[in-house]
Amino acid sequence: MAESEKAAGKEKRVLRRQFLVGGGAALAAGALSVAVPQPSSAAECKPSYPSSTGYIVYDSRLCWGCQSCMFACSAVHYGNANPALSRIQIIRDAPSFTKYPLDIVMAVCRQCVTPLCVQNCPTGAAHVAAENGNVRVIDEEKCIGCRMCLQSCPQRPRRAVWNPSTQKSTKCDLCLDAPFWGRKGGPDGEPACVTICPSKALKLVHEAPPQEDVSGYDVNLVPPQPKTKRKPGTPAAPKA
Amino acid sequence: MANGYTGKIARINLTTNEITTIDTAKYEEFGGGYGIGAAIFWDLAVAPGQWDLKDPYDPRHVLPIMAGPLAATGVPGAGRTSICGISPETFPTCEFFRGNFGGRFATMMKLAGWDGIVVEGKAERPVWINVINDQIKIESARELWGLDTWETQDRIVSMVGGRTRFGEEWQKIGDSYTTGIPQIVCIGPVGEAKSRLAALIQGSGVSARIGGYGAVFGAKNLKAISVTGTGTIEMADPKGMLEARLWQMGGGSLVTGSFAPAFTGSASCHPCLRADRRRNNYHGGETMCVDQFWLSDKGDAARDLASEALMRYGASGWAAHFVGLFVSDIPGAPEFFHKQVPVETGIGWYLRYLHEIGVLGPGKEIDSAPLPMDQWGELAFREAFLDAVSRRAGIGDALAEGCCRAAQKWGRLEKDMESGALRFPAWGATGHWTLPSVEWAYNYMLGAGDPSWHGLVTAVGAPRGGTLEESLQRLSKKTIPYTDDIFMFNYAWKGEEAWKTGIYSPHKAKEVAWSRHYASFWNESMAFCEMFLPSLETLTPEIEMKYYRAVTGKKDSFADTMRIGQKIWTLERAIRVMHGRSRKTEDFAPFMYKPGASGMTFWGGVPIYENGKWRSDEAPEMYLDRKGVDDFKTHYYALEGWDKENGWPTRKTLEEFGLKKVADVMAARGRLGS
Repeated sequence: MAESEKAAGKEKRVLRRQFLVGGGAALAAGALSVAVPQPSSAAECKPSYPSSTGYIVYDSRLCWGCQSCMFACSAVHYGNANPALSRIQIIRDAPSFTKYPLDIVMAVCRQCVTPLCVQNCPTGAAHVAAENGNVRVIDEEKCIGCRMCLQSCPQRPRRAVWNPSTQKSTKCDLCLDAPFWGRKGGPDGEPACVTICPSKALKLVHEAPPQEDVSGYDVNLVPPQPKTKRKPGTPAAPKA
Repeated sequence: MANGYTGKIARINLTTNEITTIDTAKYEEFGGGYGIGAAIFWDLAVAPGQWDLKDPYDPRHVLPIMAGPLAATGVPGAGRTSICGISPETFPTCEFFRGNFGGRFATMMKLAGWDGIVVEGKAERPVWINVINDQIKIESARELWGLDTWETQDRIVSMVGGRTRFGEEWQKIGDSYTTGIPQIVCIGPVGEAKSRLAALIQGSGVSARIGGYGAVFGAKNLKAISVTGTGTIEMADPKGMLEARLWQMGGGSLVTGSFAPAFTGSASCHPCLRADRRRNNYHGGETMCVDQFWLSDKGDAARDLASEALMRYGASGWAAHFVGLFVSDIPGAPEFFHKQVPVETGIGWYLRYLHEIGVLGPGKEIDSAPLPMDQWGELAFREAFLDAVSRRAGIGDALAEGCCRAAQKWGRLEKDMESGALRFPAWGATGHWTLPSVEWAYNYMLGAGDPSWHGLVTAVGAPRGGTLEESLQRLSKKTIPYTDDIFMFNYAWKGEEAWKTGIYSPHKAKEVAWSRHYASFWNESMAFCEMFLPSLETLTPEIEMKYYRAVTGKKDSFADTMRIGQKIWTLERAIRVMHGRSRKTEDFAPFMYKPGASGMTFWGGVPIYENGKWRSDEAPEMYLDRKGVDDFKTHYYALEGWDKENGWPTRKTLEEFGLKKVADVMAARGRLGS
């Protein structure tokens, strides 16, 4: 059953573009109050949190849709392959075979400046890891499986992930706790998804991208093309 | 079992609606994918002896649709889906054959918990199979029958996914969630018409275009199979798998193999890791070159519409070939085809040929209605062609049976095979390559059609460093277990050298055997895209072994895996023998023995050793010698442990592979090599 069906009937239809506002800051008290009535929204968010020192930005035009990042994510965290447990979701096969650039949606945890998952966690399992560059993480030991973080996430689809085998939530930790990753993770390390991406469509940055809109994280990562002199009379290269 | 395998295979009988489970472990010795599929085919279709294996539309036909153990683990390029069975496409007999397709079907099938799905029987009415994790349902396809492949998939996605909004929500399945949508393999109207041109289509442009298996779906009243999964695939060494990926990426890209120049971001022809969705001629960069260029010279818009129609109708871009990707010439061909003859015949070319020589057209000896022959080169003709085939209207009824059968119906088969107007190297199956790649041609003959395996074509091309001989020496270190014999790569085709060290020698038999054993294990059973691996100039065999060991945890050596490949190939041979394959029936079409047989080559041609020297040569004049091919068969059969008289595997050979039960069945039916 789709999550939307739960709220069917009483839900006000919210356009995706309207819904995907960042960190929830300007969001949408309206949208959240309808779809997720219990947790507090960013607008109501009283505490302020130190910003993360690491963020993953992406280029949705560069992505191949191979989902290597998803397999890498589950491999480094769980030692097996399960894209449903990946903390990054590359959603492809748009209905009616919609063409580029609408064929793929990249759902990457934003390490929100105002993290509602942290704000609404009743046990402190979702917290800001002060000792690790303020990355927003979930301590599975403390998680009671209330799914509040899933409901709180203002992004669509939600970035927090439900693990049915442990009955707990998880979220992107920039590979801070990735026992099957042979490299250092975290904001000063190499998150597996970024390193493994064959099209270089993901990048770790250290400044918070603009939070107001989804486009703040969807950036141009095309490497600069080497300048070559064109011979007179030869046609220009076709545009990508 | 674990480490790459889900441990179970679904067996679905559409006649009885019975759904049972096969334990994958029973077949693990065959590796996975096609290897396991062929073994299941033997057990369910051949060994019982209740079916003569002649008619691919017989309800007793067993169709294994399989994934390899490396699929759904993060290993790149290893997610292809294998399908095997009796091919409707081959001619004059419907041969046991195999094909595979890319996309994400195998990945999702494994995440649903299945290493494969084996379909048998025939549904009374049109159905589709709905797999959601461990739940399998046979659903009515009443509302899907008649829809094209894109509409079919859209409809099924809606049915399975309910109201989940794409890209915005997770779909709840039990206590699991997924953002993925069902992956579906299906047929279009061409498959429903049981046309031998029918492909299986997955996604917008991924297709199993070899073998005509879409027609088998049609004969079984099976419109589609949909899989949705949220499960887990275990692997022995996840860290090792990721390190292998990074090692492979060390050169700057994952792109290896035959088409290495295609790099990240280029308009490559690969609907998988090498795709570039920015091309935007299709969804997600899907489709392969042969389909993209079904109509190639009328501008981008017409080209895209033509290939979209091909996919929507569910026709094979090969079986329904119109213009060749690679063109050559045929002595005596009509002027229109001067320097434009496809290397291999397609039905479109044949229609035009018959029209040009005046025997086909409105009211002619072969009535072309309803096809507008005056618009042969236009989009309208392509669409009319697909429509006529799918309705079997007018000439479409003959065309739906493929080139050879249509030619036979029109009384032109012998004449046009002899002249080379019908260029099918062996078994009447359309392909895209033969001479001067002799190993490719031999694979045509020993198999049942185009091997579609490019592993050696670049590796034996002009050297990119050092001399040709040095390059071949390096190559000969990689072709385990047939190492240190550079004459394997000698394409000398004339005079004494051809028999001594060239294309009719025991050396060439080793090259052909290596290619079959490698492909049987690594491409068909481990399901690596054959454009991706082998990478004989660089990473093979190290990269294959890194991935294989990391996922499965097996300690096999590369030589061990090649031995499994040979075992699979031997079993494939046994299946063929059981429905009539022998030395006598295994031959090339007449045109292969005449000037004009050679097509064209890239990458600097093929290496030729003559008069004590090596040279690269495009060998455009190459053609085959009948006695030479016969001598090659003798060498090849001996190398594989098949008997000289018939080319049948011997008991000794079969038992060395642990195939005693196969030997017993063959002996009981008088088909065991002596």
